[in-house]
Amino acid sequence: MRRPKKPCPITEAGIRFVDYKDDRLLARFISDYGKILPSRLSGVDARHQRQLAKAVKKARFLALLPYVKGQQG
Amino acid sequence: MATLKTRMAPTRPYEIVYIFDSALEDATIAEKLEKFHALLELAEPAEIEHWGRRQLAYKIGRHEAGYYVIANAKASPATLPEFERALKLDDSVVRYMVSLIERVLGAPKLSDEELAARAAAADDDDDEDDE
Repeated sequence: MRRPKKPCPITEAGIRFVDYKDDRLLARFISDYGKILPSRLSGVDARHQRQLAKAVKKARFLALLPYVKGQQG
Repeated sequence: MATLKTRMAPTRPYEIVYIFDSALEDATIAEKLEKFHALLELAEPAEIEHWGRRQLAYKIGRHEAGYYVIANAKASPATLPEFERALKLDDSVVRYMVSLIERVLGAPKLSDEELAARAAAADDDDDEDDE
């Protein structure tokens, strides 16, 4: 049995293009270790997942998000 | 640095994020921003948004916090190499990023009516959860 498709949380928030400066939004789509969550877990559609991946990488460079979470130093 | 073939004064919209040393005074930062933006030879002044001091997600060198500034400016690509050189040489700039604005980021700003409608919808959802 196929599970009914989850709606994309980013589309639902009315976001056209993911903003790398919105660290509170991006933080919802990274794992406890700081990795980008796969869309099969987060339900993000493919277009937004591509934008999200780039946005997370920009946010990491700007020290808005950690590269690796949950370790000292 | 490769020279770009640019026609006369074509400008492109850029978003520049600066992370300054958080120990700097606000007046010094404003002064530095003015100095940097002068290098871009802007026709109209840049839109500047100060985020202020915030904790960095990880240490950059000895810095644990930074003063964030976001600037939107229409600049000619030819002015960028000199601008970036100045940023690299300035020790008070912990990090910077210049990106081309190709699309409007984030959600479009909602009107008051839409906000009210959304708030009402959120309330309805809460009611359903209670039952």
